[in-house]
Amino acid sequence: MSRRPSVMWQTIATPVLLIVVLLAIAAVTYQFGSRAFNRTVVEMFINIIVVTGLYVFVGNSGLLSFGHISFMCLGAYATAWLTIPPVMKSITLKGLPAWLLHTQLPMWVAAPISGVFAALFALIVGRIIMRLSGIAASIATFGLLGVVNNVYSNWDSVTGGQGSIVGIPPTMNAWIGWLGAAVAIAIAYLYSISRSGLALRATRDEAVAASASGIDVVRERLIAFVVSAFIIGLAGALYAHFLSIVNPGSFYLRTTFITLSMLVVGGMYSLSGAVGGVVVISALIEMFRNLEKGVSLGGLTIALPNGVQEIAIGIITIVILMYLPTGLTRNREFSWRGWPRARRLPQPVQTALKESN
Amino acid sequence: MTAVLQIVFDGLSLGSLYALGALGIALIFGVMRLVNFAHGDFIAFCVFAMLWPSINAAAIVFAGNLPFYFLIPLLLLIGATLSVLSEVLVFRRFRNANPATMMIASFALGFVIRHLLLMLFSSRPKSITLWPSLGLPVELLGARIPMLQVVTIIITLAVLAALSLFLKRTRYGLEMRAAADNFTMARMLGVRANGVILLAFAISGMLAAAIGLILATNSGTADIGMGANVMLIAFIATVIGGLGSVPGAVAAGFLIGAASVVFQATLPHDARVFRDAFVYGAVIVVLLVRPQGLFAPKSAKQRV
Amino acid sequence: MTLLAVDDITVRYGRLTALRGVTLSISEGEVLFVTGPNGAGKSTLLNAIAGVVPLASGAITLNGADLTGAPPESIARRGFSLVPEGRHVFGALTIEENLKVGAGMRADKQQIVGDLEFVYHQFPMLAERRHAAAGMLSGGQQQMLVIGRALMTAPRLMAIDEPSLGLAPKIIDQVYEILAQLQAQRKLTLLIVEQSSTRAMMTGGRMILMRGGRIVLEGKAGDLARDECLRQAYFGFGDH
Repeated sequence: MSRRPSVMWQTIATPVLLIVVLLAIAAVTYQFGSRAFNRTVVEMFINIIVVTGLYVFVGNSGLLSFGHISFMCLGAYATAWLTIPPVMKSITLKGLPAWLLHTQLPMWVAAPISGVFAALFALIVGRIIMRLSGIAASIATFGLLGVVNNVYSNWDSVTGGQGSIVGIPPTMNAWIGWLGAAVAIAIAYLYSISRSGLALRATRDEAVAASASGIDVVRERLIAFVVSAFIIGLAGALYAHFLSIVNPGSFYLRTTFITLSMLVVGGMYSLSGAVGGVVVISALIEMFRNLEKGVSLGGLTIALPNGVQEIAIGIITIVILMYLPTGLTRNREFSWRGWPRARRLPQPVQTALKESN
Repeated sequence: MTAVLQIVFDGLSLGSLYALGALGIALIFGVMRLVNFAHGDFIAFCVFAMLWPSINAAAIVFAGNLPFYFLIPLLLLIGATLSVLSEVLVFRRFRNANPATMMIASFALGFVIRHLLLMLFSSRPKSITLWPSLGLPVELLGARIPMLQVVTIIITLAVLAALSLFLKRTRYGLEMRAAADNFTMARMLGVRANGVILLAFAISGMLAAAIGLILATNSGTADIGMGANVMLIAFIATVIGGLGSVPGAVAAGFLIGAASVVFQATLPHDARVFRDAFVYGAVIVVLLVRPQGLFAPKSAKQRV
Repeated sequence: MTLLAVDDITVRYGRLTALRGVTLSISEGEVLFVTGPNGAGKSTLLNAIAGVVPLASGAITLNGADLTGAPPESIARRGFSLVPEGRHVFGALTIEENLKVGAGMRADKQQIVGDLEFVYHQFPMLAERRHAAAGMLSGGQQQMLVIGRALMTAPRLMAIDEPSLGLAPKIIDQVYEILAQLQAQRKLTLLIVEQSSTRAMMTGGRMILMRGGRIVLEGKAGDLARDECLRQAYFGFGDH
C-alpha cells in the first residue's frame, strides 16, 4: 500500500499558486505601471493582507467579525509611533512616553512589532469575546470597532485625536506589498493546516460534536483571533507607510464593510476566496472611481455622481449573498489540476426543527 | 438634592434612548434571529427624510416644517415603510441563511443607505430646529430639567407600556411571542410567518423614527452618523441583556444609560473624556461574569 | 372518504434521500400507525405532510386540496395539525397562552372557548396551573399540553410523532386513553408515529412499517403485530 501524501503536499498548491500569481502582478505593475496604478495595486496588496487575516478568523471559526479593522488601526498607529522622526512626534504627540518619543525604527522592524502589538491586544479582548455565543461574539466585535475608534478619536495627546498625524516614512512599493501579501498567505495557510485550525473548523461545522470530542472552542477561537490580529496589524503598519499619514476615520465603518465584502464575495471559508474577492472588488472599485472622475465619449464627459462607488459595492455584495452565498469560489480552493478543485467538507444536514441561538 | 435629581433624569432619558434602540433590535432578532445592523441608518434616514436633498450646511427643511400632529405620524410611517421594504426586498431572501450571512446583509444594507444619504446630503451636519420650546427647562421638585428629557422618558415609558400590552393581550402579540420562542412550531399552528415578521419590522421602523426625532430635537442637527452612537450602545445592551430577551435588552439599555451618567458625574474632571471607556469597562466586567447576558432566556442553550 | 393522500413523495436532505416514493392514504376517522427503526423516515414523512420540509417530487392532497409546496401555516389552516417529536412547548408562554396560539386562526369564538374547556377537562393538571410558564412542566405534562394545543386548532387530521418518547408507562397509558376518547368523541383522524408496535396493536387501526425511507409493510395493526414478518421487516432479515 502506498504512503498517503501528507496534508501539506496535497494542499500546498493553493498558497503557492496564489503567491506566484500575485508576484506576476507585482512585477508587471512595478515595471510597466503608472504611478497611480502602482498605488492602486499597493492598496490592493494591503487589502489582501487584511482580508487574508480576516479569513483566518472568520473562515475557520464561522464567526463573523466586525472588529478586525480595529487591529489595523492599532497596527497603523503603533507604526506611526515607532517610525515618525522624534522631532515631529515631540510636537504633536506629547502624551507618548519618553522612550517612545525618542525611538525611531525602520519599517522592517516596526511592522512586525506593530503586528505583535495588535495581536497582544487581541489576546486580551479575545479572552472575553470568544466566550460569548456566536452571534453575541459578532456583536461584541462590532462594539470593539466602535470602542477603538472612540478611544483613538479622543485621546488627542497620544493619537492626535480625529485629525491625522503625519510623518510616517513613505517606504511602500509593489514589491513590499507583494511580500506582505505572501507572508500573510503563508501564515494563513500554515494556520489552516495546523491542528488548531482543523479543530476550529470542526467547531464551525458541527459545534456540538466538536465540543463532545474534547475541542476547547474558546481556546481555538482565541488562537485564530490572535493570528488574525497579527496579520491585520501588519497590514495596518504597511498602510501607514503607504499613506504616510494615519487618522481614525480610515479605520471605521467604510473599511470594515469593504473588507468584509471582499471576503464574502470571494468565499468566506476559502483562502483563495479571500484573495480572489479582494482582486475582484478592487477592480470594481477602480472602475467606479474612474467612472466617477468622468469618461469622455466623443467630446462629452460622462461622470457618475460621487458616492456611487460605495452604493454599488453594497448592492453587489447583497446580490452575491443572495444568489451565491458561498461566494465566487463556492468556498473551494484554487489548485493545479482542475480549477477550482472541490475540497470542502460536505454540508451538515439541516433537520426540520433545528433550534439555533 | 437638585443635582441628584438632574442626574436621575439625565440617566433616565439617556437610558430611554438606548432602551428604544435595543428594543428595535431585539424585536427583529426575536422572530428572525437577525441582528439588524442597518438600524442606525434607518434612524438617520428618518431624520433626513424631513429635508430636501442639498449639500448646504443650512438644511432646506421640507417636511420638517409640518406641525407636530402631521410630522410625527408621517415620520413613523416613513420609518415603518423603510423597515418593511428592507424586509420584503432584502431580508426575505435570507430567511434560512446562516447568521453570518444575515448579519453581513444587514450591514451592507446599512452601508448602502448611509452612502445614499451621503451622496444626497454630503457629510456636513445640517442644522434643523424642531420644537425649540422643548429645550427649555421645566421646574420639577426644585430642579430644572430640560423639557425634552421629560418628554423622552414619557414617550419611552408609553411605548414600553403599549408594546407590553400589545404583546401580552392581543392575538398578534401572542403570535409574535410564540414565533420568537419557536418559529417553526408557531407556523405549524397556523401563525403566518410573513405577517409576524412584517409586524416586527414595522414596529422596529417606527422605533427608529422615534429615536431620530428625539435625537434631532435634542441636537438641532441632522448628521449622517447620528444613529450610530446610540446603536453602538444599543447593540451592546442586547448582548448584555441576553440575546433573545426583549425585556432584558430594554433593562440593559437603561442600565448602561444610568452607568454612563453616573460615571460622568463621579469621575474626576480630566477623566471625563474617558467616561465611555469606563462604561465599556463595566460592560466587559458583566460579560466576564455572565457571558450569556444578565437576563438570558431559559431556552438559550441549544438542545442537542 | 379519503382525508389525506400522499402520492409518491420523495424528500432529500442535501444528498441524503430520506423518503423514496412513499404513497399512502388515510380515511376520515381512521387511526394510522407508522412504525419502523430509527432513521426510517417516519418523522420526515410527518414533516413533509406538515410542509416543514420540501418535497423533491410527488404530491400531497388534504381534503381534496393540493397542498404540495404549501407553507406550514397554510397546511395547518387546512385542518392538519402536527405534534412533532420532542414536545416543543413555547417555554416562555403560559399554559393557557400555549393553548391559545393554535386558536388564533379560528373565527368561531364560542367554539374556541368550548374547546379550551374541553382541553382543560381532558387534562386537569393543565387546568390547575393554566397561568404557569410552560417551560416548567414535566415531560408528561408537556406532552399533554402539546396535544391540547394541537387540538385547539380544530384539526381534521392530527399527526403525533412519538407520543410516548421519554414518558413513564403510566403517562403513556393516559395519553393513549385520551387519544382514543378524542377519536371516538370528535371523529378525529389520527396519524401516529410509534416505535412500540405493542401500543399500536393495543389501540387498533391500520399500521405501516417503514425502513430506509420506504414503506415495506402494510396492514391491520393487530394482525401485523402478531405476525413474524413484522419482526423480519423491522430488522431487515431476509433482505438482499
